[in-house]
Amino acid sequence: MQGETKMVIYVCEDCVDGIFTGVYNAWASRLGHANVALRVEGPTDLELFAEYRSVETDAQKAQKVADTIRRRMGETSYEMIYRAALANAPEKADCIYRVLAVGLSRHTDSRIARHLIEGLQDTNACRIFELSRKVQNEAHRYEGFVRFREIEGGVLFSEIEAENQILPLIGEHFSDRFPNEHFLIFDHCSGDCLVHAARQQWFIWRGAGKELPEYLEDRSGFSGRGAGRESCGKDPEKARRVEESADGIRKNEEQLSSERIEKIKYPAYSAAGLPPVSEEEIQRLWRGFCGSISIRERENLNLQRQFWPLKFRKWMTEGSGQESRL
Amino acid sequence: MEITQEMDLYQKLMILSDAAKYDVACTSSGVDRAGSGRGMGNCIAPGICHSFSTDGRCISLLKILFTNECVFDCRYCLNRSSNDILRASFTPDEVCRLTIEFYRRNYIEGLFLSSGILKNPNYTMELLYQTLYQLRSQYHFEGYIHVKAIPGASQELIEKTGFLADRMSVNLELPTAESLRRLAPHKTRKKILAPMRQVQIRRKENKEELVLYRNAPRFVPGGQSTQMIVGATPESDFQILSVAESLYRKFDLKRVFFSAFVQVNQDALLPALPGGPPLLREHRLYQADWLLRFYGFTAGELLSESRPNFNAALDPKCDWALSHLERFPVEVNQADYYTLLRVPGIGPKSARRIVQARRHGTLDFPALKKAGVVLKRAVYFITCNGRQMYPLRIEEDFILRNLLQVCERRPAETVTYRQLSLFDDGQMLGEVPEKLKLAGM
Ligand code: SF4
Repeated sequence: MQGETKMVIYVCEDCVDGIFTGVYNAWASRLGHANVALRVEGPTDLELFAEYRSVETDAQKAQKVADTIRRRMGETSYEMIYRAALANAPEKADCIYRVLAVGLSRHTDSRIARHLIEGLQDTNACRIFELSRKVQNEAHRYEGFVRFREIEGGVLFSEIEAENQILPLIGEHFSDRFPNEHFLIFDHCSGDCLVHAARQQWFIWRGAGKELPEYLEDRSGFSGRGAGRESCGKDPEKARRVEESADGIRKNEEQLSSERIEKIKYPAYSAAGLPPVSEEEIQRLWRGFCGSISIRERENLNLQRQFWPLKFRKWMTEGSGQESRL
Repeated sequence: MEITQEMDLYQKLMILSDAAKYDVACTSSGVDRAGSGRGMGNCIAPGICHSFSTDGRCISLLKILFTNECVFDCRYCLNRSSNDILRASFTPDEVCRLTIEFYRRNYIEGLFLSSGILKNPNYTMELLYQTLYQLRSQYHFEGYIHVKAIPGASQELIEKTGFLADRMSVNLELPTAESLRRLAPHKTRKKILAPMRQVQIRRKENKEELVLYRNAPRFVPGGQSTQMIVGATPESDFQILSVAESLYRKFDLKRVFFSAFVQVNQDALLPALPGGPPLLREHRLYQADWLLRFYGFTAGELLSESRPNFNAALDPKCDWALSHLERFPVEVNQADYYTLLRVPGIGPKSARRIVQARRHGTLDFPALKKAGVVLKRAVYFITCNGRQMYPLRIEEDFILRNLLQVCERRPAETVTYRQLSLFDDGQMLGEVPEKLKLAGM
């Protein structure tokens, strides 16, 4: 009897690959879409008449799901689903499953499948659209709000507290912008760290929070430690190559000595015979600039707060108040 | 005053950023340029806000003057030659360094370099060129650069500089030639328009070159912008907006910025402005500018000789809709994109979503809400499947009274108008940074 059927709930890891693996398993179970649900790990109320199955993340299954989404629903839809999967919203996993149940079904006309998420009539599609937008907005804001400071060896280090798992979305941007820099962006919320060694593929160092402090302490060079642990680049293909590039970082370590990097970056510095400016001095210059660029006659702190909420300022160089003008 | 030598970098930066703060610039230039991998930097078309100053404007560029020395004597400007102020000049290396060090810490999106006139226009332009040249070729900087073209500088210098910059701008300064004569005795309209025309023509040629040779160097790929001071001279909003419109049309400008006049000099020829800078006026002009560029409006539709200034209480779009009630209500399930755009409460984003979503079936009011339509404003102007959301009179006084409740309030009231969005169309609520860019802040 239909009523007797127990709901089967697939519990997946809270990352894109985890959710996509969950989709794969739930679909393959052939229990029928109405009898399965997806959850991400985390504190949720257990449902009494449900069977819980924990999903072991499997990169190959996830890849298959990703490819199918791309093929059936198009690149734009895939990107939206991908971003929604990074959102800080527990219901995202099931929303994604519901939308895919329609979008990937053989019975769905391919034109409809491609435009499914644009529809305003379906609640799950709408939710994915919203989540995707939210995540993208946050990622975009952090493209501006990330603040690096130079630590030993010329490495640039940044800390953020992002609501959603945005690191995979900003990796491309910063790597393209700073190809010759070693940089780290550590997210206190997820505990993950975006790692980029000069001229290498970036990757996400999962769970970096546990090891980062000691890593920062004993860094003599750029060891790329933790590389290959787990990577969730936007493109699963690329992510898989991370393992190799992590090896590459280790191998190239001597070659990428900071001295050489300096030469690539600032040939003009030495040419002009300019003395180095300390990190503190540069921060002071920046704070001073932020103060002097403001027009007093137009002062509007409410407006400033609206565009630049206090929660972002914590890790920003100029966030703790701007130095008084000259 | 020659005290430049004794000043350290910090002092120079304070003076020369303070002197540059009235210039409006934004990075939403439409330039998308990936890094080459050999240097540092790239460009992102919609621009990125990096910080916000206490006046609520976005900080995205290292905005500085090369020098605040100036041989000209423009009455509205702090740097005018007759003012006794601290003067300072950077060296090209100092500018490069600040740019590079700020950029690699992700403080900024690039450099905005303007300058007072040191010695003469050519000498100044040469310095700006040198700075850009070093930044691009020695420091391998590939980020965004906005540079001023100095009116009166040689064509050759402007051309050379244009190949290193993403955006160039020449400030129109004041809306009419007559006002310019009064307040900026060393400048003429002709001299200002000449480099603007040059850049326009060169860009056009460059586009043809790029069709033939994909790797040809690019000339001012982000286009030109300009800026007008609002409220220092007696022009009406209609005059100002018409000037902006013709600059877009005839000079192919990317942006026209408006800058509310800030009283920095005591001068008999300048207005007193006891109420502070005319911010509301500037705001209305930006709203109207937005309507010109993205909504398909013309200046003549929004204002006229007999009604030359914007309504202080209503934004220009609501104002227009109220005086054109014969065009409403609009049926959202049928109206085309441009007709939808003219409805208060519907912006480009929500209009696009409506058009997309209609393919999957008819829309009802809750669906419109999800599309981002601001219903409390739109209700007076739309029907859904032939029906209004609730029975409403389409009558000017009635709508006006209601709109005043939900539209912007006047700045005198508790909330300042700047806290409200550019239009309450909702289309920009999602992406705050872009919105700021486009608002020209
Ligand atoms: S040319 Fe005029 S506006 Fe420009 S810096 Fe000199 S005085 Fe100021």
